[in-house]
Amino acid sequence: MKLSDIMSSMQLSSYAEVALLLFLGAFGAIAISLLWNRKRDDWERYRHLPLDDTDVTLPSTDYKTSHSHQAHQP
Amino acid sequence: MHTKLEQFSYDDDVVRKFTFATVVWALVATLVGLFIALELVLPGLSAGLPFLSFGRLRPLHTNAAIFAFAGNAVFAAVYYSSQRLLKARMFSDTLSRIHFWGWQAIIVSAALTLPFGVTQSKEYAELEWPIDLAIAVVWVVFAVNFFGTIARRRERHLFVAIWFYIATIITVAILHIFNNLVVPAGLLKSYSLYGGVQDAFMQWWYGHNAVAFFLTTPFLGLMYYFLPKAAERPVFSYKLSILHFWSLVFLYIWAGPHHLHYTALPEWASTLGMLFSVMLWMPSWGGMINGLLTLRGAWNKVAENPVLKFFVVGITFYGMATFEGPMLSIKSVNALSHYTDWTIAHVHSGALGWNGFMAFGMLYWLAPRLFQAPLWSKRLCNLHFWIGTLGILFYIVAIYAAGVTQGLMWRAFDSTGRLMYPDFIETVVRILPMYWVRALGGSMYVTGVVLCLVNLVMTWRGRPAVYRVPVIEAAPLSEPSGELDPQVVIPRYPTMVHLGYQLQFFAEAAWHRVWERKPLRFTVWVTAAVVLASAFEMVPTFLIRSNLPTIRSVQPYTPLEVLGRDEYVAEGCYNCHSQLIRPIRAETERYGEYSKPGEFIYDHPFQWGSRRIGPDLHRIGGKYPALWHVRHMEDPASVTPGSIMPRYSWMLDKPADFSSLEQRIDALLMLGVPYGALVGRAEPVAREQARKIALEIVDQGGPAGLEDKQIVALIAYLQRLGTDLMKAPPESQPAAPLMAEPGQPAPATSNIVLGSSGHQPTSENTHEAQ
Repeated sequence: MKLSDIMSSMQLSSYAEVALLLFLGAFGAIAISLLWNRKRDDWERYRHLPLDDTDVTLPSTDYKTSHSHQAHQP
Repeated sequence: MHTKLEQFSYDDDVVRKFTFATVVWALVATLVGLFIALELVLPGLSAGLPFLSFGRLRPLHTNAAIFAFAGNAVFAAVYYSSQRLLKARMFSDTLSRIHFWGWQAIIVSAALTLPFGVTQSKEYAELEWPIDLAIAVVWVVFAVNFFGTIARRRERHLFVAIWFYIATIITVAILHIFNNLVVPAGLLKSYSLYGGVQDAFMQWWYGHNAVAFFLTTPFLGLMYYFLPKAAERPVFSYKLSILHFWSLVFLYIWAGPHHLHYTALPEWASTLGMLFSVMLWMPSWGGMINGLLTLRGAWNKVAENPVLKFFVVGITFYGMATFEGPMLSIKSVNALSHYTDWTIAHVHSGALGWNGFMAFGMLYWLAPRLFQAPLWSKRLCNLHFWIGTLGILFYIVAIYAAGVTQGLMWRAFDSTGRLMYPDFIETVVRILPMYWVRALGGSMYVTGVVLCLVNLVMTWRGRPAVYRVPVIEAAPLSEPSGELDPQVVIPRYPTMVHLGYQLQFFAEAAWHRVWERKPLRFTVWVTAAVVLASAFEMVPTFLIRSNLPTIRSVQPYTPLEVLGRDEYVAEGCYNCHSQLIRPIRAETERYGEYSKPGEFIYDHPFQWGSRRIGPDLHRIGGKYPALWHVRHMEDPASVTPGSIMPRYSWMLDKPADFSSLEQRIDALLMLGVPYGALVGRAEPVAREQARKIALEIVDQGGPAGLEDKQIVALIAYLQRLGTDLMKAPPESQPAAPLMAEPGQPAPATSNIVLGSSGHQPTSENTHEAQ
């Protein structure tokens, strides 16, 4: 007997509805959890993470003011 | 207590490599796009050369845009931002180089195979199996390098951009492997493991999620890192970013079936795809709003800073595309838009606006930092922005108009109830002016890419003799202390207090802060969400027979038809012609009986296509005499004045590949196609059918000597298309092949279907969708 025989004979027809409920439930749980959250300090730090870089390889300005094609001197 | 600081540096050399690769492939992808756009208004542009035909070059354009241009941009973003967000050098410089050169070799392989008709014919997954294997290997190298870097990180928290990269790496691997499962029939030919409806389902599960997890999630990671950097402002809301991330991971993977509305896909799957697509709108806009509000307090910089201009327009296009996508997934809208250029406009607003502009913004931000020299010309950068923006607008406005025009003309009926535009060519000729405007917009966009390349090269020329390599200092990760670790200590006894603690743990989203620090757990949950969602749609489609009613009269293709079908695949005919008639009156009036799932069971791969630059071909079989096809392929405009189809005159000269037939039949046999009695005699059977068709052509006044040419095999296939439905079923279900006698016309009986659902797809069942 094949797996498809078993599955076909099980008269399953509500997988779409189950899927919707399952994932709406998961989504709702995450949303509620986030909205209720009161721990602001950690996330305040996290959202600044991209700005925490310490390496500086940037030239003195992002853009040349004139088209002098000399190599930038570090 | 003193923590010893570790010293390290970042590997920016690989980022420089990916940066240049991004802009070079951007130029190639857009130039090929412009060329094929011009071919649609100047069909003679291919000069009769097979490798310049639209069908062969369009996959090169899409693959170059997605995997070469966007792919290299993603890798540049990942390598630059991950090192800084994780405070660690990439795990292995060697793996970084293998990744870079391996990826470029794959792109070159694509450029050397697709124009020569080596294709699997599945959109955005056209590359043949040896290249697919190489992609898998290089992707694993990338994954090892990325996750190795996470393991060595010095920042405990994984920033939201890293989550998006994790989702990308995991999901793209799953999509690539499962959609590209094939049985090889030689080094450069294979047949999809799946057939017909199942293949279509797998393809659009892959196709849509390639958009989601190759063109969306990594670019969102890019946005969450580079936009705050450029604006010098923190991300607007970290909460929203978490919601954005998980919503996309949960929802995106379900949406694929919206590409198959009104097709032979089971309706429940199509509806599910539509519902999840509509739900996607909100989190997508949450991400867009999070991006735009990150600029809160920094909007004054946008006028001055071209990088921010690119980002703002890019994010705005993300918002437009993610509103339009859910809208197009609604069945009633899709009934109008599907197969039309509307989809092409939608795709290009996303690709040129969102992916393109986010990538260019990143490149311009990176250039001074990577090359350690000021950007060569801000003016050129601004010019790129404006010419690119106008180019996108010219492109999409013209193609939206073309798409809606097509859709409305295809379904227009006159007062007597007949099609108002029964000749498909009328709808083609009407939109040609819009194709010209599209070419204008495309050429403006290409000009912008050239300006970007010039600017980057000139900036690179201003680099120092030796790049400075800053030494970074950071403390290694220590074991999490109770103070740092947000885990709430939950008493291990079953009381209401315990329950209360658990609720607190959940409500404060402490679980998420734990996950964010534990990449393995995070990755497992992302994988679970993707796999579970996929399984919910796939298992019923593959294992429950009532979802795919079979048709007893449908028989395997003859060997010559297999050869012709492979030529159809190689020429990329699916790029312009669909093979799926929807149960919509305007379509059944124009093309004939709507397509049934059981008609495609031997189609490895499926050939439903996704657009109609030319008419649907599913019921083309027997519609025209063989000689008509000869004349049409030799010079389409001579048969259909105004046709924009290129000439395929080489098919009248080039010999068909009869010698490879045994290998092809063996491969199909392995896939379950009942060819048992044909093993070892496929070639003589095919030659006999070819001889009969060649004689038929001569009898109809056509040229002689075509019996061993490609055209005969193609005609055999085209004449078979869609005819089995009307044939009488065999006396009993065949264990061995009971194929239609080559060259025999289909009997006019309609004693056709005994699907396991009892569904009778007679003409009475053809219903109006409107």
